[in-house]
Amino acid sequence: MGEVASNPEKNDRKFALPVDSEHKATEFRLFSVATPHMRAFHLSWISFFACFVSTFAAPPLIPIIRDNLNLTATDIGNAGIAAVSGAVFARVAMGTACDLFGPRLASSSLILLTAPAVFLSAIANSPAAFLMVRFFTGFSLATFVSTQFWMSSMFSPTVVGTANGLSGGWGNLGGGATQLIMPLVFSLIHSSIGSTKFTAWRIAFFIPALFQTLSAYAIFFLGQDMPDGNYVRLEKSGEKHKDNFSQVFYHAITNYRGWILALTYGYCFGVELTIDNIIAQYFYDRFDVNLHTAGIIAASFGLANLFSRPGGGMLSDFVARRFGMRGRLWTLWVVQMVGGLLCLLLGKIGSLSGSVAVMLVFSVFVQAACGLTFGVVPFVSRRSLGVISGMTGGGGNVGAVLTQVIFFRGSRYSTEEGISLMGVMIMCCTLVIMLIYFPQWGGLFCGPRKGVTEEDYYLSEWSAAEKEQGFHKMSMKFSENSRRERGRKGAAAPVQSDPPTIV
Amino acid sequence: MEVPAGFLIVSLLLSCFVASSYGVYFSSLNATLSVTATPTQGQVLKAGEDQITVTWGFNQTYPVGTDSSYKTIKVKLCYAPISQKDRKWRKTVDLLKKDKTCPHKIVARPYAASNNSFTWTVERDIPSATYFVRAFAFNAQDEQVAYGQTTNAHKSTNLFEVQAITGRHTSLDIASICFSAFSVVSLAGFFYMEKRKGKASK
Repeated sequence: MGEVASNPEKNDRKFALPVDSEHKATEFRLFSVATPHMRAFHLSWISFFACFVSTFAAPPLIPIIRDNLNLTATDIGNAGIAAVSGAVFARVAMGTACDLFGPRLASSSLILLTAPAVFLSAIANSPAAFLMVRFFTGFSLATFVSTQFWMSSMFSPTVVGTANGLSGGWGNLGGGATQLIMPLVFSLIHSSIGSTKFTAWRIAFFIPALFQTLSAYAIFFLGQDMPDGNYVRLEKSGEKHKDNFSQVFYHAITNYRGWILALTYGYCFGVELTIDNIIAQYFYDRFDVNLHTAGIIAASFGLANLFSRPGGGMLSDFVARRFGMRGRLWTLWVVQMVGGLLCLLLGKIGSLSGSVAVMLVFSVFVQAACGLTFGVVPFVSRRSLGVISGMTGGGGNVGAVLTQVIFFRGSRYSTEEGISLMGVMIMCCTLVIMLIYFPQWGGLFCGPRKGVTEEDYYLSEWSAAEKEQGFHKMSMKFSENSRRERGRKGAAAPVQSDPPTIV
Repeated sequence: MEVPAGFLIVSLLLSCFVASSYGVYFSSLNATLSVTATPTQGQVLKAGEDQITVTWGFNQTYPVGTDSSYKTIKVKLCYAPISQKDRKWRKTVDLLKKDKTCPHKIVARPYAASNNSFTWTVERDIPSATYFVRAFAFNAQDEQVAYGQTTNAHKSTNLFEVQAITGRHTSLDIASICFSAFSVVSLAGFFYMEKRKGKASK
């Protein structure tokens, strides 16, 4: 009570968008750059986009690079795996870093620390060097977590799904855009400046490197951690409470749903990363198109992210209105299964036009599945949202590593066989969604347990001692807001009106 | 609206399974051309600097008139098996239009039975690998009708190497390192600025 009185400026502050009690925006206005909410959105998706462009800058130029550095199919496969494996742990660490330092410093630091890897790609001279630069550049994909964290800090639950889906999807767009940008930059340098092919690709890498560096500067100078200011200032003034890390981490890793979603995200987002790595080379080699055309086709896969991932997020919110969490889970299961089927089909098709058509439909389904996954993730835990998001995100990268190691390394399978087998693996791994069960809302096949409420679920993450100190209040608020996940039918189910008794 | 789209997809899918296997097969060709090139077994040539002189002609041990359909000769630089290993983009396939063994063109000339030679400077975009030289004879329909190569049928003799350019330049190296250093230094600067802001707000 005393806190409000000692901070009179807090309530007088004017925001360009309507806000809730935490000063998080309740509306999402895409074409605004108003501080701090919409500006944070644009800074986060643009910087995430830049990181994707850098991480996947090599694949469209592989036909040139493989001749320059004398790479074998195994070398190329290993580098592709390295590119996505770094972010596995980096994403989990990023969740923690966001809590400690705030998303603004955490993301700009990571982006500036990985920019040298992109600059140094220009002087790579051997398969080993190539692998190293792709490995370190790939760490930058951990900015996914800071993006989602930042959106969750700036936008209230009613629009956070849209904000997360758009920032995630538009960032992923970089994986597609780079397939267009890099061949274009390469041919401009090769024809206009007249550099030989083996020099032109090296110069081309300066473009994503500079873009990445500039985006980090923009975040640092123009961004802000929370609606009310940066962490540094808020912690000193006492407005922000620091949670206990080992507890947050413990509650994340002991929640089995986080692990299941990490696995299934590996088979939608992981597959997306794998395809970003192999698809240009696939079209170039199998169908004999030139570098430009292969790049355009490969780009269209990633560019579908413009609407398909946000669409998945919005679809999740839409089915939840009627069917609640069970609707979200069913939709995720169906969409990801169809994605797997289309992947199986993609490898079987022998004509160029057929392949492109199936690839486009496949891209929509697999990316929508990514958006649908993050329609479920915010509800798995309230206390440990950062770490759960990091685990799921990291799981995505693990899926990319696994599929590339098993199917796209060396010469055991042809690329088309690998793609079909990957489709089979997607379908098998998606089956585990059947095991997700929320006692208060149900799962795929079972309804909710009688008498269990949202408070029981979210407040079980806090100990008695912590509850006495009142640290659990935001989980209480969240529990009330999440009652909508019961769907329309569950409106009559029990609601807890008194604070829970300590068992 | 959905039915026509579905039909379109199905008909596209059906059309894909029509494999096109028309074209000339390498195994159907005879080695009626004799081709020699200046590099000796194991010699290393530098891309952009060294030269190859290729001479080719009709092999007189074959019956007269075999070469009546030959209209043009295309001489190519081809990968030896060791440079094709674990690199399926250089794979040898019998159907010539899918074959990736000989991607680098040296010269194309109208056919003459003898006295053909050409000196070629190894181009700067030739990758480091082991090579041999092969010439194809084309008829008036631009189909391969004969060939000749500097190596034996197993592609194991008389192979030479090319050492490619690195593509690196000193200026590029310096720019790369400077920008990298600048990124890291500016990050340190950011942390310093942030610390100062923290102290100032106390």
